[in-house]
Amino acid sequence: MLTEVRSQIKVTMLSIKYAIMRELLNKVTFISNIIFMILNNASFLIQWLVLYSIKDNFGGYTFKQVILLWGMAAITYGFSHFFFKNAYHLSDTINTGRLDTFLVQPKSVYLQAITSDVTVSAIGDILYGYIMIFVTGFTIEKFLLFTFFGILGGISLTAFIIILGSLSFWFSRTDIIVDTGESLAVNFATYPDGIFKGIVKWILYIALPVGIVNYIPISIISKFNIKLLLLCSIYCILIVLLSIFIFKKGLKRYSSTNLMNARV
Amino acid sequence: MSNIIEIKKISKIFKIKEKEKGLIGSLKSIIKPKYKIKKAVNNLSLTVEKGEIIAFIGPNGAGKSTTIKMLTGILCPTKGEAVVAGINPAKQRKKLAYKIGTVFGQKEQLWTHLTPYDNFKFFGAIYDLKNYEIEKRIKELNDTLELEEFINTPVRNLSLGQRIRCEIAASLIHKPEILFLDEPTIGLDPVVKENIRVLIKRMNKEFGTTIFLTSHDVGDIEKLCKRVVIINDGKVVLDDSMENLKYHYLNNKIIEVKMKEKVNLSDEDGITILKDKGYNLKLSIDVAKKSVADVIKLLNTDKIIDINISNEPLENIISNIYKGNKK
Repeated sequence: MLTEVRSQIKVTMLSIKYAIMRELLNKVTFISNIIFMILNNASFLIQWLVLYSIKDNFGGYTFKQVILLWGMAAITYGFSHFFFKNAYHLSDTINTGRLDTFLVQPKSVYLQAITSDVTVSAIGDILYGYIMIFVTGFTIEKFLLFTFFGILGGISLTAFIIILGSLSFWFSRTDIIVDTGESLAVNFATYPDGIFKGIVKWILYIALPVGIVNYIPISIISKFNIKLLLLCSIYCILIVLLSIFIFKKGLKRYSSTNLMNARV
Repeated sequence: MSNIIEIKKISKIFKIKEKEKGLIGSLKSIIKPKYKIKKAVNNLSLTVEKGEIIAFIGPNGAGKSTTIKMLTGILCPTKGEAVVAGINPAKQRKKLAYKIGTVFGQKEQLWTHLTPYDNFKFFGAIYDLKNYEIEKRIKELNDTLELEEFINTPVRNLSLGQRIRCEIAASLIHKPEILFLDEPTIGLDPVVKENIRVLIKRMNKEFGTTIFLTSHDVGDIEKLCKRVVIINDGKVVLDDSMENLKYHYLNNKIIEVKMKEKVNLSDEDGITILKDKGYNLKLSIDVAKKSVADVIKLLNTDKIIDINISNEPLENIISNIYKGNKK
């Protein structure tokens, strides 16, 4: 079992290494993608600066907390897109029969299908997240919690996207559902949860990986709470297990295709 | 010899959504979808012996790829069971993967930006080979498949023929017992096709690999396989040796003749005129009804300048079997 896990991690890391090697073929694009992503994220802070010059509290968040929230959203999104880019293309992978390649290999189809590519600009998101820690006042504790929740959130967001993408086993094209789910999760993650009320708040904490992935971690970083930390961890485990269950259930319905395609 | 593949009454049924034409048809299909049941593979049984090179052929949509996909664990059968190298592909996909190799001519497995060498290292890791084992195997494959010239060139810069050689090499990195080749020579020029055939034969001889081949190229089948299985509509319609196939189905001879004078010959029982250009004739003779000697007598031997008698091309024989014209 342990050997199998080690071997799976080795293959996953090799996939990521080779994907980075491909991206490094064009160094200018590689670096500019990262820098422009940092600038893109930074541009949104201007609107918050203007808003906080009028009022010093939005939805219970100070300006520093909003910056941290942005940082958390960026690192979560960045981690997910860097390590699991293909999770966002799962619908296409299923519909074009590209799972065939992974099914004839002695490794986890679930992991192979989501880890064989990287988004370079996501490095910009991760760096941006860490810059926000320095902007809001660096402490070791904050750094470690931020990293922990960034990874946890990235995994939870990926699992959520896999669940939506796996629907393609039943309903052919679900890429629009995946795009919508991703947009909702990312957009809501950058606003203080205090501004949302009623059903919207319920949706953010139950249906979308926003409340437990972004809002609660920010509150834990501000005031440590072990119970909430455990809640976030359990949520992550449950959503990953659910995504594996749905993917495996769907895989039994996989019908492949004879479309011509290439691994690029 | 022992059987390495045993297929027992295997079936695969697909439920395909049907749609009437046009936008209205699309809207109707949303409100009231209609489905068609397609039996891609229908109660198919087959055994393959260890070390065999078998041609598994049939027209488009016959169920060849579906069968291969069930044998490699990509698809689960709706009914029946297959045992490949002692393993049920539907139940133990990962375990089976160590024993089989696959090359899908229409689907690329290699990373195109990497060199074949890096690709082989990656595939070696997938099959849990140690670094020294991978290096040793790359050397062996390099010698057998002659990859030296381009082993360090990115795959995207290789010709199609070189790429297919690398695909085959990658699928052999873990020394599989069975190699499934699904149209490996598709799109290749005749010289490269011939090279690939030589390599496949060499692999079978040197490594004892069982080859399960599907191809629309009669040359592949004729030059590589001793046994031919033809399927149509998901069922086996012929399972015979290449020798028997040629012997039993070669009822027709083709006569091409160049005459001194114009000959007036018409279609009659046993003779079909394929081409008539006055002095040059091309005839198809059904030897069960008319002997070749009788036809030559009809033509008048004194007036023949040149004559060529040949067997009907294998392509035609297979095509006739596909159409169900012959049994």
